Amino acid sequence: MNLNLQNTIFTPQDLKALIMEVRSYTRWFAQANIKSQVVGKPSAATYTVSETAATLIREFAAGQPLSQQLLDMLILSLEKIEKESPRITITLAAMPGNSLKKSLTDWCRKNVSPDVLVDFRFNATLLGGMVVQYGSRIHDWSFRRAILANRSKFPGVLRNV
Amino acid sequence: MSLTTFLQIFLIIDVFIIGVLTPIAVRHGREHYRPVKPEPPKPQLPGTVKERMLLASEEQFKSVLQKSVGHLEQDLESTTDQINHLIKEFAGEIVGDELERYRSELTKLHLQAQTDMSGISKQLNDHKAELQVKLAAEMELEKQALIRQIDVKLGDAVGSFLVETLQHNVDLGNQSEFLVAMLEEHKDVFKQEVITP
Repeated sequence: MNLNLQNTIFTPQDLKALIMEVRSYTRWFAQANIKSQVVGKPSAATYTVSETAATLIREFAAGQPLSQQLLDMLILSLEKIEKESPRITITLAAMPGNSLKKSLTDWCRKNVSPDVLVDFRFNATLLGGMVVQYGSRIHDWSFRRAILANRSKFPGVLRNV
Repeated sequence: MSLTTFLQIFLIIDVFIIGVLTPIAVRHGREHYRPVKPEPPKPQLPGTVKERMLLASEEQFKSVLQKSVGHLEQDLESTTDQINHLIKEFAGEIVGDELERYRSELTKLHLQAQTDMSGISKQLNDHKAELQVKLAAEMELEKQALIRQIDVKLGDAVGSFLVETLQHNVDLGNQSEFLVAMLEEHKDVFKQEVITP
């Protein structure tokens, strides 16, 4: 079964939270199964999960009835993604909103790797732009670096004003 | 009166006589050995003549004296004039010679000074030109250094100003397209790095 990360999961923290939520749901599901087997009728209790987790479980099941085995497979798949998916760290000048996160993550998943996880950080001293880090490689495309790198050009620019 | 007294009186009188006779003998002796020439007898003139002659001689002496005084005055005046003239001539000559010598020395010194001054002036001009060239070079170097220093400080100031100013006015909403464009610009390198870590 193929598992594609949804548009709402951008960061490793999002994925970790999703895994924890699925694990909790799996535990509840197991307990609910045992209860129903003991009682002899399906349990009336419900467990509320987030829309993201519900959509993921639904897509992973692909129409099959939900089972403990299926949920375990889902958790394994998610853990595998957590371990193996490439991670990129993007540092911005401020905390990014969801739209910006989505925009940058979409671009990364479209152009770099479909299961890439993007860790967003912020550093106000960057002023603007971003610093992209992958492994030991860092690309500093921040305004601060641009300003400091080009400060020798300011007098020339000012002279031409 | 005794004999002794008599003898005493006699001896005293003898001593007196000897005292009178001794100077007389001495005078006669001196006149004998050094006789005094007798003065010629002076003509004896009558008193009126003597007086007239005395007056005449006195008048004559006066006139002679006056003439002599006149001559002496004239001689003195002429001598004074001549001396003054000579002094003037000598003084003029001396002053002229001295002036001429002074002029020639002055001319010589002037020429020497001109020669020296021309040399000094040439050296001075050369040195001045050399100093001007050095000064211009140093000024240019200093100017360039100052310009560089000002540029560095200005760059630092503008950079610091921008960093300080923009730090509090970050708006990522406006940067979204820019960030994506930045990723697009470096897409190939970035993709290569991710694919082949």
